[in-house]
Amino acid sequence: MGRSFTQRFLPRRDVLAAVGALVLMLTLGSIFNAGGVFFEPSTHTDTWHQNAAMGVLACGLTIVILTGGIDLAVGSVVALCAVVFALLILKRDPPLTGWLAIPLSLLVGIGAGAISGSLIAFARIQPFVATLALMAAARGAAKWLTDGVKVQKFPYPPLIEALNTKIPIGPLAVSIHIPIFLAIAACTLILLRTQVLGVRIYAIGGNEQAAHYSGIPVRRVKLLAYAICGLCSGIAGVMFCALERQGNPDGGVGYELTAIAMVVIGGTSLAGGRGGILLTLLGCLTIGYLRKILDLNSVGTPQQLMITGAIIVIAVLAQGIRRRDKSA
Amino acid sequence: MNPLSRRACLSLLALAGLSSLSIAQPPQPAKTDGGGIKQTFHIGYSQCNRGEPWREQMDKDIKSNAAKHAEIDLQMKDAQNEASRQMAHVKEFINAKVDLIIISPKDTSLTPAVAEAFDAGIPVIILDRGLEGDKFTCFIGADNKLIGAQVGKWVKETLKGSGNVVELKGLSSSPPAADRSEPFRAAIKDTQIKIVYDADMEWLSDVAREKMQAALSRNPKKGSINLVYGANDPAAIAAYNAAKDAGREAEMIFVGVDALPHEGVEAVRKGILNATFEYPNGADKAIDAAMKLLMGKKNEVQKKIILGTKLFTKDNVDKGGEEVKP
Repeated sequence: MGRSFTQRFLPRRDVLAAVGALVLMLTLGSIFNAGGVFFEPSTHTDTWHQNAAMGVLACGLTIVILTGGIDLAVGSVVALCAVVFALLILKRDPPLTGWLAIPLSLLVGIGAGAISGSLIAFARIQPFVATLALMAAARGAAKWLTDGVKVQKFPYPPLIEALNTKIPIGPLAVSIHIPIFLAIAACTLILLRTQVLGVRIYAIGGNEQAAHYSGIPVRRVKLLAYAICGLCSGIAGVMFCALERQGNPDGGVGYELTAIAMVVIGGTSLAGGRGGILLTLLGCLTIGYLRKILDLNSVGTPQQLMITGAIIVIAVLAQGIRRRDKSA
Repeated sequence: MNPLSRRACLSLLALAGLSSLSIAQPPQPAKTDGGGIKQTFHIGYSQCNRGEPWREQMDKDIKSNAAKHAEIDLQMKDAQNEASRQMAHVKEFINAKVDLIIISPKDTSLTPAVAEAFDAGIPVIILDRGLEGDKFTCFIGADNKLIGAQVGKWVKETLKGSGNVVELKGLSSSPPAADRSEPFRAAIKDTQIKIVYDADMEWLSDVAREKMQAALSRNPKKGSINLVYGANDPAAIAAYNAAKDAGREAEMIFVGVDALPHEGVEAVRKGILNATFEYPNGADKAIDAAMKLLMGKKNEVQKKIILGTKLFTKDNVDKGGEEVKP
């Protein structure tokens, strides 16, 4: 337990590297400022807005990754929750109010996460395999529920517009997606830093066997970790549905990889037990600003992808992270 | 029981089942006019990927058009985007001795399978994507280049020859992307219309939204973007949403392509898009051609039928759009 306790406090080097990557990105943005556009405050609120839902996914993934697991299903679960939400508010007659539709959609996310969690914790299927299976199944469910067709309705219903509300702060209009993201980040941070569950998540990721022998209910903690990740996917699903103003059964493809990239670039180790939400927050901003700067400068997709690959490698090398030998 | 003999038993059982079926349902009497044409036409239809909304609509249109002819017995199959599965479909249709095959192939790899059916004497109608060679009865498809040129013409007229345009292009590796873009650019070339931002939105609405946000940031002044051309309707709708988020949707015109009834056309009706150009799926023409072929009027069916496009705007949307003359 003592070891995992110290692990909760991040080594300074990781934080420095993650801040460094973000500073590098902001410097690049200042140099390639697209005729001053980068210095406009609205560019920055846009960047945060665009990456808020992805950031929520990354927060959920951080928790799972800290246990030494992975969740490949988040992209599909986002699509599933988005179509469930869209069906409830657009296709159901009469439509459900937000107070019912939102919790129901989140429940679908929690359910999906709990399925992966139980497969991993109780059926002892490897996280990669179990969530790969759920990735396919959730995509199938999303397509099945919608007959493969996007769920949309014009004009957009008030609830969709309400979920895209902007709060005026000075001259800026800040989307409510940004405070939602920050609130989720704060909740997961508090969970990991101050709650028993958080300590146990780090302990399991650090050394699962040791955690087991020290009396930690490993299975239950794992199940909870995946369920929380599912909840985050559900929240992100509702946010994406609002952003896109539709429930797209083909949406969210590849989001798991972007979200994993955000976690990893922040410095959370895929081996588990090391990292945290603040790092993920920095990782989100690094990837988000990278994409924004490339778009602002009209960089073509081929170059964008190559640059993204290079930045991930550079950032992770800067962390000096090596795969921890768990048997040691 | 070894697997082989089990399979043999199963097929025997299946055969017995089939023969009892044919006993239960005596073959339909042959029509006398036209020299012994059968009254029930078995049409095998293979779709390469029902997962795409445009193809889903094609399936629906094939079904509804076929339902207008009581004598058609339609067998629908979905290859779920796998060419090998679609090849198997064609083989199955040949074995089932269907009277005609309608196929919307995944790609040219279906050429040999279709040729085999054609050589076996089954008429084959190909929809949307072409095959190599000429071993098929009829090809029906739309022309993206024509649509691209029509969008360009419409944009030129709508903007009266000058303005700033954002172009959201399709996935660069897919041929329709260039086909919808190059003729469009050619049509506005000698005007004061400038493309102030263009990007590859990979046919995806979330990517289109992100690119449009960048376009808006790059052109921050009100009125600095006059029109957005999305190479498909979802992209044009996503661009509208991004502009709406920035409070700028009123200052620009949005035009898309595809005109699916519940997507682009509905968006035009509700004032989200100003225009959309139809990319027709040819389902009605396919069933027409199929009936002609089956009634023995082969010479009335052209080998290659290229479909035109329809323009939908707020003014004509309730009348079902308007055919555009090239």
